[in-house]
Amino acid sequence: MNSPSPNKVLSATNLTVNRGGQQVLNAVNFSVAKGEIFALLGGNGAGKSTTLLTFLGFIKPTNGSAQVNGATVHSDVKAVHRQVAYLPEAANLYAHLNAWENLDYFLSLAQVDNSRESINAALDTVGLASGARVRQLETYSKGMRQKVGIALAILRDAPILFLDEPTSGLDPVAIDEFNAIIVGLAERGTTVLMVTHDVYGACRVARNIGLLQKGQMVGHFAASGDEQISADEVHRMFAEHHKA
Amino acid sequence: MNSAWRIAREEWRYWLRSKTATAVGVAAILLIATSLVTNYLRIDAERDARQQLQAVAEETFRNQPARHPHRMVHYGHYVFRTPAPLAIADPGVDPYTGTVMFLEGHKQNTATFAPGYTQALTGPLATLSPALVYQLLVPLLLIVMGFASLAREREARTDQLVYTMSVSPTTLWLGKSAALAVLAMILSMPLAGITALAWLGGESVVISFVFWLGYALYLLCWVLMITAGSVWQRRASSALLVLLASWLLLGVLLPRVASSAAEASLPLQSNVRNNLEIAKALRDAGDGHNSADPAFNKLRAQLLAQYDVEKIEELPVNYRGIIAEAAEKKQTEIINRFARRRVDQELAQASAANRFNLLSPYLALKSFSITTANTNLEQHHQFLRDAETLRFSFVQQLNKLHATELAYVDDAKRSIDASSEQRARIDPQHWRMLDGFESERPGVTARLTTALPNLAILVLWILAAAFAGQRGAMRTAQQTNG
Repeated sequence: MNSPSPNKVLSATNLTVNRGGQQVLNAVNFSVAKGEIFALLGGNGAGKSTTLLTFLGFIKPTNGSAQVNGATVHSDVKAVHRQVAYLPEAANLYAHLNAWENLDYFLSLAQVDNSRESINAALDTVGLASGARVRQLETYSKGMRQKVGIALAILRDAPILFLDEPTSGLDPVAIDEFNAIIVGLAERGTTVLMVTHDVYGACRVARNIGLLQKGQMVGHFAASGDEQISADEVHRMFAEHHKA
Repeated sequence: MNSAWRIAREEWRYWLRSKTATAVGVAAILLIATSLVTNYLRIDAERDARQQLQAVAEETFRNQPARHPHRMVHYGHYVFRTPAPLAIADPGVDPYTGTVMFLEGHKQNTATFAPGYTQALTGPLATLSPALVYQLLVPLLLIVMGFASLAREREARTDQLVYTMSVSPTTLWLGKSAALAVLAMILSMPLAGITALAWLGGESVVISFVFWLGYALYLLCWVLMITAGSVWQRRASSALLVLLASWLLLGVLLPRVASSAAEASLPLQSNVRNNLEIAKALRDAGDGHNSADPAFNKLRAQLLAQYDVEKIEELPVNYRGIIAEAAEKKQTEIINRFARRRVDQELAQASAANRFNLLSPYLALKSFSITTANTNLEQHHQFLRDAETLRFSFVQQLNKLHATELAYVDDAKRSIDASSEQRARIDPQHWRMLDGFESERPGVTARLTTALPNLAILVLWILAAAFAGQRGAMRTAQQTNG
């Protein structure tokens, strides 16, 4: 398990969540340092999304705590939201709005720069074709919606980024583009917590990986030097725990 | 607050791009416009017609030839109830209570020619008044527009992203409520227009404004109930079901329960039984047409003693006229006693039904509306009282003429002697006793005082709905991942 470090941005300490009479998270511990990409891996129902939603303040822990920059999430959720950009699994944006309108709306709510120039620059960065920007999102593929979501995260310029199954449903080219953007953001100091069941995708971008199984952290993998985490090793442990 | 307005603007953009919202908007405009125009034209025409008919009735009475005064007592007179200026917005009980009364001696007739009787043939929405539209149908349209406002965000999980923009759940709920409130206020503008017409038609400016304010508060109450319903439900479909059920309960079932409970706990005596009792009491009081009725023996003895004569033929006044006057007074006292009892029963029943007002903003608004518009049951009773005062006044004036202008001998022989019959007629100049009839209407302060408790109930409902909505927003934010 990760030991607490002085520059940790995110930390889960004995994080426990009970919902509907069931223990969804059981004393989960991990921390994420500034500029680090941390992937939480696990199968369906492992508690990945619950962990993310607890860090977002949408779920109150039964025990333990989720902390952002040393502050307990539930003591000031709004302060957490000011530091966080969140990309939900389905890139839940408004289907009746086009890309530009979606970004303009969310940015105005966040009270950050929503000029057309900055929005277009972010959409250029994520590679959304100009012609598509004026079409309503109901006509978009999932990959295109993800790009708009990432553009929003970029425009928020938030120091922390939460990603929920970000590459699910994307084609290999889109996954590569997405990974490049995430790594770029981390290199510029953005702390990334992503939850995914894509072992190989996680190993390509994350410096630390936590393996969740039935609400418990059952494994932890860290990259050393320039080497990536071994996807085979993670996959093997994933499979072992899945069978168990 | 800026974020709330931004959310409200976004909701409007959603509506403007949605076909359902457009259809609902068109339906709202058609309903409101139809009710306003048809009701305004109808009430305006009725007001003119009744004013003209009132003048015609008075003129006809005045233009009667020389007659025996008692024939004029039975010739009678008509009075018409002119609709209150705000009846163009809420005709209240007018369509059901009758607007015309025939006034004659020894009888208190009921008001007749209720337009509702004929309109009933064209269906339940025949009296599609602006009041009905705003009390029942506009809330329904608001439900269709707003049921999904928050539930939709929750279902699509767009609320999660909104919250991560540092928007609080309360702000999101406020923004959605503001969007629907702006729509409700726009929908209330035609009503403001018609209250302005009522003001131009003679209604007080304060009453006209308060009337609109009551409806605005009622719609605001529905706005907050709708957003509260939407925020408490996980799914838009269940929010729609809950809100439709609430509409049905508050606007249809509770009013029915209220009136049934009032009727059951304080039943009115049937008209047939009432009329039989009145007839018996009147018989016992004596027949004013029959000077030999033993019921008047005491009066005859008093008169003979007072004028120191032995026979009624020697009296300086017409004994028959005196009897008619005395009988009318006695009979009117009896009639009024029964009328008061009936009025008290009806008011007690209405008061029992009004106890349910706290349970339904619809009931509170309905009471507020007819009280403020002067189209309530009390105003109908006032019309009956004013009509009775006029009836008693002109009948007694005729009886006094009977007693003072006609010789008893001519009066007694008029059916067997042609010359007596001629002398038993009096000059038509005496028929100029009727002035323009107008029923008294309570003033601004009286109406506001009566309407205030129902206005307070609406404010209470607004506070309760706002509390429920805000609590719901906080609760769902904690469970936003479903």
